[in-house]
Amino acid sequence: MIRGIWTRETVAMVFLAAVLPVAVSWIWDEGVLGTGRLVFVLVLAGLWQALFTFFRAQPPSAAGAVSAFAIAVLAPEVGPLQFAIGVSFGFVFGELVFGGWGRSVLSPAVVTIMFLGFGFPVADWPHLPVQIGWATIPAAAILLFFGVLPWRVLVGALVVLIAAGGFNFDLLTSAVAFVLVFLVCDPAVSASTPLGRWLYGALFGALTALFAAFWETAPVQIAVSAALLVSLAAPLLDEMAIALWQAVRRYRHG
Amino acid sequence: MPEKILTSEAGVSLAPWMEFRVEPLAEVGSLVAQGAPILRDRRRPECIVTAPIAGRVAELETGAGRRLTSLIVQAEGPCDRHQYDTRLALGELEGGSGTTALRQLLQSSGLWMRLRARPFGKVPEASTVPAAIVVMAVDTRPLAPDPRHAIGEENTARLNLGLRALSSLCDGPIFFCQDRGPDIPDAHGRLKIVRIGELHPEGLAGLQIHRLFPARLSRQVWDISMEDVVAIGQLLSEGRLPETQVVSVAGPGLREARLVRCPPGADLRELCYAFMSPGPRIILSGSVLDGRESRWLGFHDRQVTVLERREPTPRHWLDAALRRASRPEPVIATAAVEQALGGAMPGMALLRALSVGDDEAAVDLDVLSLVEEDLALVDYVTAASPRFSDLLRAALNRIEANA
Repeated sequence: MIRGIWTRETVAMVFLAAVLPVAVSWIWDEGVLGTGRLVFVLVLAGLWQALFTFFRAQPPSAAGAVSAFAIAVLAPEVGPLQFAIGVSFGFVFGELVFGGWGRSVLSPAVVTIMFLGFGFPVADWPHLPVQIGWATIPAAAILLFFGVLPWRVLVGALVVLIAAGGFNFDLLTSAVAFVLVFLVCDPAVSASTPLGRWLYGALFGALTALFAAFWETAPVQIAVSAALLVSLAAPLLDEMAIALWQAVRRYRHG
Repeated sequence: MPEKILTSEAGVSLAPWMEFRVEPLAEVGSLVAQGAPILRDRRRPECIVTAPIAGRVAELETGAGRRLTSLIVQAEGPCDRHQYDTRLALGELEGGSGTTALRQLLQSSGLWMRLRARPFGKVPEASTVPAAIVVMAVDTRPLAPDPRHAIGEENTARLNLGLRALSSLCDGPIFFCQDRGPDIPDAHGRLKIVRIGELHPEGLAGLQIHRLFPARLSRQVWDISMEDVVAIGQLLSEGRLPETQVVSVAGPGLREARLVRCPPGADLRELCYAFMSPGPRIILSGSVLDGRESRWLGFHDRQVTVLERREPTPRHWLDAALRRASRPEPVIATAAVEQALGGAMPGMALLRALSVGDDEAAVDLDVLSLVEEDLALVDYVTAASPRFSDLLRAALNRIEANA
C-alpha cells in the first residue's frame, strides 16, 4: 500500500551526498585539470549507461557518478584515448553487462583503474593529498549514519590496518582511506552476511598491509589492487559464512 | 477497556492462500446462531467457517472453482449463540486419552482454521501432529493492538485451558511468545515462555519459528495467536465461541485511533465511517504493511488501517514508457534491509535466492519457516518489484508441488 524509500537510487543518492566533501577538497587541490578529467569520465560513463538503458532496458544509476569520481581521483596518468578505453572497459565489462549497479560483482572504478594500471605500467600513479584522507571521515560518517556503509567491513579493515601497522596510522594513507570508504565498502559489491563482512574488511586490511610491506609502489596501486582481490573473494567469504551458519543451525536445531 | 461494538452486518473474507472451496451448510435467507457452522471446504471437510454474528444469511456467492466471493450475515432476531457439546473433548483432556474428540470439536467449531501450519502456511490437515506450536501474544505490526487487552481475569483461566488443549495436540514444546512484562500463562512442563522485543519484525510468528524451532518438510510447526487460544479455552469451558475480538482501528485517515471489541468479519465501514477525517480514504483490513482493501474484517486480522487514498499522478509519456520497459532495480544490502529481516538469517542471500527462483538455496536458508507476512516489511522498506512476498509464495508453491 505504501512503499518505503530504500530503493537502489536512494542508496546511490546517499553515496553521492557522501562524496561531496571529498569532491570539494579534491577539486580545490587539482583545479581545472582535475575538473576536466572528472567531467570527461562523467560524460563517458553517462553515455554508456544511456546506451544500456536504450538497448537493454537497464535503468541507469546515480552510483555511476560516484564510480566516475573515484576513477578521476585514482586512475594512473595516461593519455585521453587510453583513458577513454579504460573507462569504457571498466563501466561496460565491470558493471553494465552484469545488469548495472547492484547486480555486478566488481566496482567499475576498480576495474578501470586496474585495467589502466596493468595495461600502461609505466604511467605515473596519482598522489593523493592528505586532506582527502581527512575528508573521507565526514563521508564515512554520512554513510554510517544512513546505514548504507557496512560498518563491519570498515571496523574489520581498520582493526587489521592499525594492528598490522604496529598500532599507529602509518598504513592508513589517504589512498587507503578513500578506497576503503568508496570502493571496498560499496554495499553492492561487498560481502552481505555479518561474518562475511568482518572477513571481507579484515582481508582488505591484511592484503593492504602485505602489499605495503613487500611492494615498493604508490599507495593508490596498493589499495586498489587489494580492493580488486578482496571483491573477487567476497562471494567466497559469503559462502563460507552461510555454510558456517547452516552448520551451527544443524547442530542447534537438528 | 476496549469499547464493544456489534455491527449490524458481518461478512466472511478469507485470504486467497487458504484455498477455500465452498460447500454451504446454511441456506441463503435462513436464520443462523452466532458461532454456528455455515460453510465447509469441499475438499477438506475439517475446514469449517462459523457465523460471525447471529442473524440472517443475506448473501452467499461463489466464484470460479467454488471460491467464496461474498457471504453476508445481517443481524436479526435474538442474539442466539450456538452451543457445542464439549463433554467428550473435556473428558479426553482430563483423562489424557487421545485427542480424537478434541480435534473433532475444534474442527466443527471452526477454530481449527485459526491454526496455521508451516511449512507453506496452510490450515493443518485433520490428523497431523505438529513438532511444536508457537503461540503469539505479541503483535508488533504498526498500529496493532496490544494482545494484553484481550486478557482479563476470566480469560486467564480460559487461556490456561486452551494451552492445555494445544499441548495435548502435540508432543513437542509449546512456545508462548510474550512481551517483557509479567508472565501471562502459568508455565508447565512443555510450555516455554519466550520474551521478545517490541520492534517489528520481532512479533512475527515466522521470525520466532525460525529462531526457536525451524519448520522442515518432515516436521510441521503450527502458530496461533493468543486470542484464538483463549477462544479454544472458552469453547471448552462454556461450549460457545467468543462473540468479539480485540481490534484496533487506526491510521492517518482517522480523526482518532480506537480500540474496539467487534465480531470477527465485522463491517469495516460501520467501524470507521463516524471517525474518518474528510477526503478520499482507503480502508485496509490488516496493517499498512500486509493489509488488503476489504469490506469485512479479514479472517486472521486484528487491526484496521485507514489511509488517505492517493490517486497516482500521471507521468510524462516518455518517463512512463521508460519505466514500463525497464528491468526492476536490484536491492542493495543496507542496514534497513538487514533490520527488516530481524537480522536472524543471511537476509540478502535469501532475497537473492528468492528473486532468481533458486528454491534449493532458499530451503537451505530456512524459507520453510516463513510465509508472506514475514517479508512484508522487506517489501515496504525496499519498495521492491516484484514483491518478495509474492516471490516467496511462488517458491513455497513450487516446493510443495515437488515435495
